[in-house]
Amino acid sequence: MKKVKDFFRYENAGLLFILPAFLYMLVFVGYPILSNLILSFQDVSVKNLVHGQKHFVGFTNYLQIFGDEVFRKAMGNTLKFTVYCLIFQFLIGFLLALLFNKNFTFAKTVRGLTMIPWMMPMTVTALMFKFMFSTDVGIINYILKCLHLIQNNVEWLTTPRTAMIAVVAANVWIGIPFNTILLATGLTTIPQELYESASVDGANGWQQLIKITLPLLRPTIESVLVLGFIYTFKVYDLVYVMTEGGPVNSTHLLSTYSYKLSFDLFQYSKGSTVANVLFLILFIVGLLYLKITMQGEED
Amino acid sequence: MDEKKITGKSNVILCIVSVVILVLLLFPLFWTLITSFKTEKEIFIIPPTWYPHELNTRSYAAQIENGDFNMFKSFFNSFVISTGAMLIAVVLAVPASYAIARYKFVGRKAMLLGFLVTQMLPVSVLLTPMFIMFRNMKIYNTWWAPVLADATIGIPFSVLILKNYFASIPKALEEAAYIDGCTRMMAFMKILVPVAKPGVIVCAIFSFLYAWGDLAYGMTFILDQEKRPITAGIFNFMGQYGTKWSYLTAFAIVAIIPVTLIFIFMQNYIISGMTNGAVKG
Repeated sequence: MKKVKDFFRYENAGLLFILPAFLYMLVFVGYPILSNLILSFQDVSVKNLVHGQKHFVGFTNYLQIFGDEVFRKAMGNTLKFTVYCLIFQFLIGFLLALLFNKNFTFAKTVRGLTMIPWMMPMTVTALMFKFMFSTDVGIINYILKCLHLIQNNVEWLTTPRTAMIAVVAANVWIGIPFNTILLATGLTTIPQELYESASVDGANGWQQLIKITLPLLRPTIESVLVLGFIYTFKVYDLVYVMTEGGPVNSTHLLSTYSYKLSFDLFQYSKGSTVANVLFLILFIVGLLYLKITMQGEED
Repeated sequence: MDEKKITGKSNVILCIVSVVILVLLLFPLFWTLITSFKTEKEIFIIPPTWYPHELNTRSYAAQIENGDFNMFKSFFNSFVISTGAMLIAVVLAVPASYAIARYKFVGRKAMLLGFLVTQMLPVSVLLTPMFIMFRNMKIYNTWWAPVLADATIGIPFSVLILKNYFASIPKALEEAAYIDGCTRMMAFMKILVPVAKPGVIVCAIFSFLYAWGDLAYGMTFILDQEKRPITAGIFNFMGQYGTKWSYLTAFAIVAIIPVTLIFIFMQNYIISGMTNGAVKG
């Protein structure tokens, strides 16, 4: 008993404070990750989900998944979706960050208000964009017609080629504030004197951006892009509410396809397998992110 | 922010530019709000009307009446679920983050890494195992299931944010308390937590908002529509009455009331949460 007391006396007293949270996460996250892994090596359907014998089938699910056309399509879609979103939300976010970094009267207030899209429930965002992109009542078709960019109404969400554009647009709308605020914070760390002396030496705004801002902002840009990748790659609700992966699987992402397999088709093992592939990719990218951010930290 | 204040003509131009950008960015919200006050007929008029010519409040009134359009119950469910998840997250994360900031105990690094990794977890990895687990725990189809699941999003976020707050509190403050005869627990509760209060508020807000925005858990772990959160209610309604945009937009507006209130009153906390949580890790 005394030994136990001694163990927790000094630095290990911290364990007593962290244990409740750690155990909670172990039970409700750690255990599910493990059991999801096991599930992907079994054959589990609605019959033997809660009770009954679960047979191990080795890598069968993984082999079947990689032979599945919809899975391969979802994989391609997920990559496409992520890359498009990252490009647009980063570029727009960066321009906004440069703007709000200037000290004009409205800068702080307006910057604050642009954060609103980021806080909205994804279901609501999906609903709003579904409405705006709808064929007959959609404001987007109306505006495009006014600008003479299209002749007839585009069926955005029911045409495979255009549905992806609509979901990307909705996700970019959510992603812009996130990019803006992180890049704007990064910009404040660049010493003002650098710009002043560059001006004295005759460097124009563009040269200052290329030679001072971008190189010094590089660590922030790296983490914004990697974090953006992680958040975008696993987007689920937004696409599920807007298109449910359709039309003809053209917007199915790994996350929506996994949900569909498990909870629409009740092929739990297949769904778990897809989820594991998704997790593995995120995990690898996540390690990359940790490598970037942990470098400067004491721990 | 630039040191020198911009004045005169360029100040006016920048203000105008920023307001134009803001209007463009927030247009979807404005359009949703306008639409929610139009009649179904007016929504279909081309060219669209920029304000409701005939004010229609039916879509809001119907939400507190009995029937298919009642969202009040779902709103209440969401509130209970989000508050529950928030309480669990804060109660567990506050001491945990203090431990990480102050003590070098065994396994500290591994646990910190664990919290970081869970932030990257896609929801689909947890859904099926949690579904089985909650069925076995006999809490499937109750509020408990999404509450317990939603807290797993709030906890790692809160731990990572709060450890920075606790780390910034001078050690001397704590040591003075020990000299005065405080136990570790007393010093933590009476001295450290009150000092870290702004951080605790940030964590509470974000844990609440994460749970409020959740669809997957609420939809998967609760079967009965009367117990489901508002996000699942909206999704369900969209499936049944896909083009009743007057109702749908009104639901959307109601669903973002808490978000708007939090934003108006606690904007600074939110910005601090977004920057601290994401960059520092």
